[in-house]
Amino acid sequence: MNKKIELIDVSYVYGERTPFEITALKNVNLNIEAGSVTGIIGHTGSGKSTLVRLFNGLERPASGKVLLDGVDIWEKPKEIGKVRYRVGLVMQYPEYQLFEETVAADIAYGPKNMGLDADAVEERVKKYSALVGLSEEDLQKSPFELSGGQKRRAAIAGIMAMKPEVLVLDEPAAGLDPVGRNLIFDAIEEYRAVEGATVIIVSHSMEDMAARCDRVIVMSDGEVVADGTRDEVFSCADKLVSVGLDVPEITKLAELLASRGFDFGKTVYTVSDAADIICRALSGGGNE
Amino acid sequence: MKNISLGQYYPTGSVIHRLDGRVKIILAVIHIIATFLCESLASFACLFVGTLVLVLMTRIPLGVVLRSVRAIVYILIITFILNAFFTVGEGEPLFSVWIFTLYIEGIWNAAFMALRILSLILGTSIFISYTTTPIQLTDSIESLLSPLKKLKLPVHDFAMMMSIALRFIPTISDETDRIMTAQKARGADFTTGSLIKRAKALIPVLVPLFVSAFRRADELATAMECRCYHGGEGRTKMTVPHLCARDIAAVGLMLAFGAALVLLNRVDFLYKMV
Repeated sequence: MNKKIELIDVSYVYGERTPFEITALKNVNLNIEAGSVTGIIGHTGSGKSTLVRLFNGLERPASGKVLLDGVDIWEKPKEIGKVRYRVGLVMQYPEYQLFEETVAADIAYGPKNMGLDADAVEERVKKYSALVGLSEEDLQKSPFELSGGQKRRAAIAGIMAMKPEVLVLDEPAAGLDPVGRNLIFDAIEEYRAVEGATVIIVSHSMEDMAARCDRVIVMSDGEVVADGTRDEVFSCADKLVSVGLDVPEITKLAELLASRGFDFGKTVYTVSDAADIICRALSGGGNE
Repeated sequence: MKNISLGQYYPTGSVIHRLDGRVKIILAVIHIIATFLCESLASFACLFVGTLVLVLMTRIPLGVVLRSVRAIVYILIITFILNAFFTVGEGEPLFSVWIFTLYIEGIWNAAFMALRILSLILGTSIFISYTTTPIQLTDSIESLLSPLKKLKLPVHDFAMMMSIALRFIPTISDETDRIMTAQKARGADFTTGSLIKRAKALIPVLVPLFVSAFRRADELATAMECRCYHGGEGRTKMTVPHLCARDIAAVGLMLAFGAALVLLNRVDFLYKMV
């Protein structure tokens, strides 16, 4: 297993040495494997948004180390800008950061800051706008003429165009309809497949986590309270409930059915999984 | 940009906190006038002691109060120096170097001027910034200005604009922080380069900030209309302020304090301003 990002004993404090001091993270230890899709869940104020800002050096930990490919990102503080190109962060509601006259120019902002030449920038704009499903025509529009979902995808393309090795997304699908959500998650999956990138998704939607992530990290009060494969994490429902989270609806349904004697044989998190198992059971090929 | 404490309201529940907002504005005005009426050493000493007593009455830690003074330290120093050297006294100068001549009167005048500025800042801090919530403040201003309604001045609208502005300062400040972080994640650099380069780097922050400010204004206007907002006409208030004995006593005491300061001007001890 290849460690892409590693956090060692990381703590973060807001407003240090003032009466308003808040400890946002306490001794966090984490490994993110290269090429994986990791989900970070936690209720509001659990420290997950602070955590993602540490991955690309937007915030400097009060103590502890953040390693990218085994190298401390704060070893040379002057070169922290380079880390931000390698670890692309899509913040919450990224559509509010669009500012250029055209969508194309906005997507080009990141690559231009990297110092790429005009041809390379244009190539990236074309490639990644197509990847998130924006048409050539959309590219010439003002960002403010796009719909909410399109704006969100344009903003995500703006980060992808920097070709980060790690793509971190904070609530990428918040406030979108199911079609918009799927478009975004499919684009993220495609980016990962094409670029071989590592993906980290922060969310509190258990359904999205269950469907999209290999591994789930649960945060509460600035600490990692659970960390493992989704099967491991979702099987301890009590723990999730105790930190103010919930298991996916379909998992709850499966548990109810299990208590009435229908054995799914494993923990289910997605509706399609459950449907498959139920269909097989009904056609006689199931467990009972 | 984190944790900007705009509006320095510091709740302690002291007597001064509990005074009516309008009364506090009046007290602050009396305090300012009294400060300018002080001329003699005796009245300045009295002003200083009185102000100190008021600071203690607010039960706000001294360190917090001094923080508001820290902002004007340079103004105090410059005022002191200018007054010290530009006052021409009657007796022999203390010393004279090149164009700088220092008289004993200069030092007195400089000290008094610095004390006046200090007293102005402390007075408004005690009565307004630290002890009055922004909402109480705008309500009080509206109430105090209400006679101007007779002249068809839109006093209510003015107060409403002021409270909306105050309400949104923290929101916009958070928003600025968020947008700056987002652009930094895309490689924006706000701290290095020439002045022009740095100013240009702010465009990606200012455009989204203005867009979002207008969006907020639009949403707020719709929300206000949905709740049947139609300006000040016939609008009632949730909390109607009433003057009580405490408020009247406070104004009385403050007036007496001012009168005492004026009387103390007659005490000719050491130095009197000219």
